[in-house]
Amino acid sequence: MLKFIIKKIVYGFVVLLGVVTAVFFLFNVLPGDPAAILLGQRANKDAIEAINKDLGRNRPLTVQYVMYLNDLSFISFHNKNNKQSAFYLDKDKYSYKYAVSLSDNDCMVLKMPYFRRSYISKRKVSEIISDTLPETAVLAISSIILATIVGIFLGIIAAIKKDTFFDRFSLVLSALGMSAPSFFVGVIIAWLFGYVLSEYTGLRTIGSLYEYDDYTGEKYLSLKNLILPTITLGMRPLAIVVQLMRSSLLDVLSQDYIRTAKAKGLSFYAVITKHALKNALNPVVTAISGWFAGLMAGAVFVEIIFSWKGIGYEVFDALTKNDLPVVMGTTLVFATFFVVTNILVDIIYGVLDPRIRIK
Amino acid sequence: MKELLLEVKNVVVEFQTEDEVVTAVDGISFSLRRGETIGIVGESGSGKSVSALSAMGLIPSPPGRIVSGQITYHSKEKGPVDLVQLPADEMRKLRGNELAMIFQEPMTSLNPVITCGNQVVEAIMLHQKIKKKDAEQKTLELFKKVKLPRPEHIMTAYPHQISGGQKQRVMIAMAMSCNPNILIADEPTTALDVTVQKTILDLMLDLQREKEMSILFITHDLGVIAELADKVVVMYKGKIVEQGSVLDIFNNPQHPYTKGLLACRPPLDVRLKHLPTINDFMEVDAAGAIVEKEQTVNEALYHAEITTEERKQWHTELYSRPKILEVKNVKTYFPVNKSFFGKPTEFVKAVDDVSFDVYEGETLGLVGESGCGKTTLGRTILRLVEPTAGLISFKKQDITALPANEMRALRSDMQIIFQDPYSSLNPQITVGEAIIEPMRVHNLYKNDKERKEKAMDLLRRVNLTEKQFYRYPHEFSGGQRQRVCIARALALSPHFIICDESVSALDVSVQAQVLNLLNDLKKEFKFTYIFISHNLSVVKFMSDRMIVMNKGQIEEMGDADDICDNPQSEYTCKLINSIPKGRMEDIIRSIENKKKLAF
Repeated sequence: MLKFIIKKIVYGFVVLLGVVTAVFFLFNVLPGDPAAILLGQRANKDAIEAINKDLGRNRPLTVQYVMYLNDLSFISFHNKNNKQSAFYLDKDKYSYKYAVSLSDNDCMVLKMPYFRRSYISKRKVSEIISDTLPETAVLAISSIILATIVGIFLGIIAAIKKDTFFDRFSLVLSALGMSAPSFFVGVIIAWLFGYVLSEYTGLRTIGSLYEYDDYTGEKYLSLKNLILPTITLGMRPLAIVVQLMRSSLLDVLSQDYIRTAKAKGLSFYAVITKHALKNALNPVVTAISGWFAGLMAGAVFVEIIFSWKGIGYEVFDALTKNDLPVVMGTTLVFATFFVVTNILVDIIYGVLDPRIRIK
Repeated sequence: MKELLLEVKNVVVEFQTEDEVVTAVDGISFSLRRGETIGIVGESGSGKSVSALSAMGLIPSPPGRIVSGQITYHSKEKGPVDLVQLPADEMRKLRGNELAMIFQEPMTSLNPVITCGNQVVEAIMLHQKIKKKDAEQKTLELFKKVKLPRPEHIMTAYPHQISGGQKQRVMIAMAMSCNPNILIADEPTTALDVTVQKTILDLMLDLQREKEMSILFITHDLGVIAELADKVVVMYKGKIVEQGSVLDIFNNPQHPYTKGLLACRPPLDVRLKHLPTINDFMEVDAAGAIVEKEQTVNEALYHAEITTEERKQWHTELYSRPKILEVKNVKTYFPVNKSFFGKPTEFVKAVDDVSFDVYEGETLGLVGESGCGKTTLGRTILRLVEPTAGLISFKKQDITALPANEMRALRSDMQIIFQDPYSSLNPQITVGEAIIEPMRVHNLYKNDKERKEKAMDLLRRVNLTEKQFYRYPHEFSGGQRQRVCIARALALSPHFIICDESVSALDVSVQAQVLNLLNDLKKEFKFTYIFISHNLSVVKFMSDRMIVMNKGQIEEMGDADDICDNPQSEYTCKLINSIPKGRMEDIIRSIENKKKLAF
């Protein structure tokens, strides 16, 4: 098992390296001069040159690539003294904890990845991410919890009451939930519950997890703003979970070992809970964990509609302004999420199904 | 005479399908006494399983329904009760407690995510209201009683970690856990090797004697119950056509269907040209009535017999022909353990240094228990699995080093018919399309019209009708599907066909028809067969020479008759002994035994 996990982690790193390479070269062949964006109206030839030098853009692409990798790596190599060097250990850029001197000039550093700075706000990208990521994570987690609990529950009932009105009704609803695009549903939900019915619901069309008090300017937690975005984002996974759970349970109920369980004299309830559920949950739980990363990345529309100040909102903003470091940084964070959840899914699979555990 | 336990009277069971009501069981009546074993025999679809399930109250409803009749069970605690009328929760108390059941498929009848031990513990705790620890202790004792190896280990093992025979023992332990009055066994050994079947049957007999339990044993093969049953009930199309003591049924069968069932089993002691089938004894006319043909079992067998002279003559001619296939020192290893970098460190030697030749027009039998490497060998010959080492030459051409595209061309000359006719046909494709497809792939014939004509012709050859060209696989029975698979293999006009357990999933009565068909086609098209099976009597009936395989190696090779009459290795003896032969002397001996033990 341990060998299996180590292998998965190694594969994961290779995948991430591939993503970094693709992201780097893709964004470097895109048109647009970052220096001009940075300077805006004040652009003049000297300033542009100075900035290009600072970004390393006057060096060959391969050197830039190595610089980028060095910036991203947890362990990196730097020049301590020469400010002209591409690898100069700039205290402004790197927040490092430990540095080991290798020679008079060179040193090895243990640090957090450096995603560069935003062209627009000049803030460190890592700061932007650490500000907005929790908001998106809260949204994604609450959506997935909603989808899991309600979806599994409805799926079980639909399977047990197969071919009844409830079963057909839930199938129609879930087909609807699957086919309706989130930007459309989001607008409808925001309008209906946040505007038309807002007197009764007490909800607003837009808002973030943390709000600032109008008078005192104090930051406070506003959990009710979470409700509508959660429903919007969770609707599609919910619809899929219902159908998956239903078909999975129906499949399990037709298996021979369910007949064996009945032949033992177990009651219907015991057959479902003790024998059918564990088998039927396998594919569902695996699928849910797999979607989590997708929800994080897919929250963009929902965040824009509800002005939820999450990472998706930030990416959208950066894309419209050509703010490449932010786009690149967030892309890498999403990719990491996908890789990590995939490793987790593999492990969960083994825990749930002993047939896979042994190998 | 012991007291009555179960009386089934005029039970009718109907199934509601989409457009009609099918009567699965049509007014059956029989009774079972304490300590008695009744064998219910019939082909698939005869209603034998449904009868058993109705006694357990396990008929899937809807669509199934017991329309009329009574099933009176004399309970230990409750006295006589009618199982048809019994409320569901009362029924549940009897089920698994006084009435227990084991099923055909041990592979799928245990829950894959619960340990074997816990599945038995659950049954005990449900009916006996004892502590978990005591239930575990009891389970362990049961595991010892059903002779499971390393019972402590199997307590914590998951079903996929133990063999098929062991799973069936766990099922028996589960069924025995509450000392049932009646054990219903629905084809409990059909999915197992003959050697394992023998041990399971012996075990059931021992347990029955010890507990004075009654057994309802359902099977499609009369031979299996010959030494086990006291009474036999023969079912055909939902009705009981004959019932009587096992001796009467075997000695003097009255109904033509019973005669057919007795005659269609491939015998070990004589060599037959073709197997008698049900159709040699009866026909069903247009109105559905049975028309009997006057013939006894012995007459039918006598007519089919082939003399030693005839066989000798054929073999002299056969072995002067050129060799079509030469296999030299072939090894096929599968890696089981790999190092971190994917380099294999440990192997399973599925085929370990095997050499033999096949002559043109010969049928070479390949027999052995499951896991002996016979299937891997068959697939290695066609290079569906790549050999690890060795030489395979087909028509004097070494095919081990052949590039993929040339090998593909050669495959039209070498075909395989697989074991499971249920899963080897694509349910989305009509039977006709399935036969045409390989011809199209290999670019045989000018156009689809000619291919279709050829496919129609093939359907006729395998005794199907042209109308069935447009049907989908689910509309066919198991035997018919296997005919379709045969027709598909023949579509490429091959010379060499490997039959890999091609009749193992079929009823004996259907098996006889398919075996006869394979032999007729061989004569007509001059095929060469390699016939793979775990059933020695089937292999013997089919083959000229025979190879007995064990643990990837050849245990014995030679004339099929010689090996059966005079086996050299211990392993072959074991295989032969475990085949249920249904001979009169065995039946009489077992009846004598039972009498002795009763006193």
